[in-house]
Amino acid sequence: MTAFAHRFVPLFAIALIVVAGVGFGVKLLSPDHDGDSGKAIVSGVEAAPRTQAPTTQEVLGRLLFHDGRLSGDGSTSCSSCHSLSDAFTDAKPLSDGYSRGSLYFRNTPTLINASKMPVYYWDGRFSQGDLATVVRDHIAEAHFMNLDGRLLIERMRQVPEYEQGFIEAFGSEVSYGKALNALVAYLETLESSEDNPYLSFRAGNDRELSDQAKRGLDLFEGKAGCVGCHSGELLSDGDFHALGVPDSDSIFAEPLRHATFRRFFRTLGVGDFITMRDDPGLSALTHDMGDRGKFRTPSLLEVGRTAPYMHSGAFATLSEVMEFYDQGGGESPNKDSALRPLGLTDAEKDDLVAFLQSLASPSSDEEAPNLPAYQPRTLGDN
Amino acid sequence: MNARIVMGISLSGWILLHVLVTLVAFVFVYVEFRPGEHIAIPSPDVSRAETPTPTSAPRPGPTADELRALGLNALPPVSMPADNPLTDEKAELGKLLFFDRRMSGNGLVSCASCHFPNVGWGDGNALSLGYPGTLHWRNSQTIINSAYQAKLFWGGERTSLEAQAKSAWTGNIAGNLDSIMAEEILRQIPEYVRRFNEVFGTDAPTFDDALRAVSAFEATINSRNVPFDRYIRGDESALSDSALRGAELFAGKAGCIECHGGPLFTDQSYHNVGVPGNPDFEHDVLRQITLRYQHRARGVPEEVYRNADRDLGLYYTTKQEEDKGKFRTPPLREVGQTGPYMHNGVFETLNEVVEFYNDGGGSDPNKDAVLRPLGLEPEEMADLVAFLESLTGDPIIVQSPELPEYGTLEQ
Repeated sequence: MTAFAHRFVPLFAIALIVVAGVGFGVKLLSPDHDGDSGKAIVSGVEAAPRTQAPTTQEVLGRLLFHDGRLSGDGSTSCSSCHSLSDAFTDAKPLSDGYSRGSLYFRNTPTLINASKMPVYYWDGRFSQGDLATVVRDHIAEAHFMNLDGRLLIERMRQVPEYEQGFIEAFGSEVSYGKALNALVAYLETLESSEDNPYLSFRAGNDRELSDQAKRGLDLFEGKAGCVGCHSGELLSDGDFHALGVPDSDSIFAEPLRHATFRRFFRTLGVGDFITMRDDPGLSALTHDMGDRGKFRTPSLLEVGRTAPYMHSGAFATLSEVMEFYDQGGGESPNKDSALRPLGLTDAEKDDLVAFLQSLASPSSDEEAPNLPAYQPRTLGDN
Repeated sequence: MNARIVMGISLSGWILLHVLVTLVAFVFVYVEFRPGEHIAIPSPDVSRAETPTPTSAPRPGPTADELRALGLNALPPVSMPADNPLTDEKAELGKLLFFDRRMSGNGLVSCASCHFPNVGWGDGNALSLGYPGTLHWRNSQTIINSAYQAKLFWGGERTSLEAQAKSAWTGNIAGNLDSIMAEEILRQIPEYVRRFNEVFGTDAPTFDDALRAVSAFEATINSRNVPFDRYIRGDESALSDSALRGAELFAGKAGCIECHGGPLFTDQSYHNVGVPGNPDFEHDVLRQITLRYQHRARGVPEEVYRNADRDLGLYYTTKQEEDKGKFRTPPLREVGQTGPYMHNGVFETLNEVVEFYNDGGGSDPNKDAVLRPLGLEPEEMADLVAFLESLTGDPIIVQSPELPEYGTLEQ
């Protein structure tokens, strides 16, 4: 083994204390949840604050999350698109993707509560239990961070605080798998806050929801029928539906975005990737035209902070989303039969929006951490 | 050894014949052209600065015929692989690709970023810059005459221009480009779709054809108007007396020809000459990262990775202990415009290189036995440099072309 220890133990100990003292802005729900998939919002969700200090893996993962050195050219960190200041989104209709080499073709979802989702990505191409693979996909893919795993390891090994951090968190030196696991540990801390009005209301604090929001909740579960898909503790059935949400014209108007789009579907084996002028969604995985245009039901927790909305970022506000559903959704051959014109009054739509706003935790003033710098090593002592 | 014997026989006659004349001539020439005086002149065409030597006067070095007999000759026409014949249209397409930064992972670097026409088609740095976010670990080599080489890269890791281009475009510390992304980017540029169709007959650009095209372009970047070649072809004024004396040393006392023989001035083999380490690796964090990355990526045993402190060259390919520190003999053509020198760019000037060899090279357990102190006088080293510079042709200036723009795809 190499001589890590004599170099930088004190530095990292200080970093640990500082990070632990600041704490995470996004606090934690109770770690054990029952996966209720019934067509009703569950009651009894506990918003139990987690009071213990972050683990060494979480601390390490949080640093890595903000570190652009996890991308090929150093330009793009996880937080480039999942920004602390925008509730872990980029607040753009469509994600930028990697550096100047790509433009992604879907909306960046929030990471708050993301680790609890049963499937990942808008098309569900990875499933729960394998969040580390989702992280790997982000780091490795040409359209996200475009970094070779071996280069990641050597970059981490050039940062004394990281070398020490891996040892403290995992008991052994830097590896790619450990980096993924540290990021997963951090992602699992990203949950709705105990101050989330809706969760607090569900926990029994009746005054946390305004009367208007409560009317909205009734509509949500009743006349508007939102709960048909937005059910369970995450307000998502974890399933796929076609709503006829319009795709973004910019996929086909912006050359680099269209190239990124084609490459992606070509690598998935979608036959008409050249002529396709819609986002095929789930069908890119199943190759079943009946799944064309189906996307994962997103969680509605934190929805008030994660505009724009839908896989294409087509709607800038929740009011636009309400209008869309009130009209019975959009055009799609596979449109879910549950969608129909709702006949909501303007006041009812406002009530629904008020309810949706109550699903958002207070915004955090957490700031990105200071990242430890590369340091020269003794040549030949690797 | 055969080469040395042939050279010895060939030269001995010449030496006997001309030794007196040379001595006499030297006295006269020395007055007007003190050896070493013109070496600082950057122009490769040294001979033009001097008074033309009357063709009747004996020259202080080998004749064109004698050089040819030693295997030192002008280059034949360039030849291309059977599956990639050279055409003007293909080379023109390759030129666009060579300069196109969209052909990189982050859209910001092209081949020309490290192979820049104005600095001899290298990048002028000791160590190449490489992909943004990284720093490369080797000296950027010239594109000039690359089509003649049987092996490419300092470790000779690739054996065709096409394979070299693939490594450069997709390598993580070079272009970091995804080949499918490259094809879709090219498809998004109507002018490229048209040109690829014209050259290759395909409906859409393919990455493999892009490799062929850029290789075709590189095959057009060859030495032009090289004083040595002019001399070989009969222009006796093309080489200065100093360069000619250098030629004699090159083939004789200095023994350069042992490894730098043939029209390319390389044996296309591998040698360890004990080049000292580039001190950058002792403190530059990005170089250190790349050095370790290369060891991992090339699959060396754990212990070799743990102790990695330098570029091991041919060893990465063979994993043989005796190949540690061996590098491909670089061609000496164009050497006057391709500094700094050696795989790690540790020598700034040809003078430094010649001094290095005069000292018998560096220190390394695998050092080639042929290297020994040469006992060259300062004037002789200057003559050698003059000869090396005479292997350098006119700068090949190619302006960055206007690149075709993105368009939208017809549905």
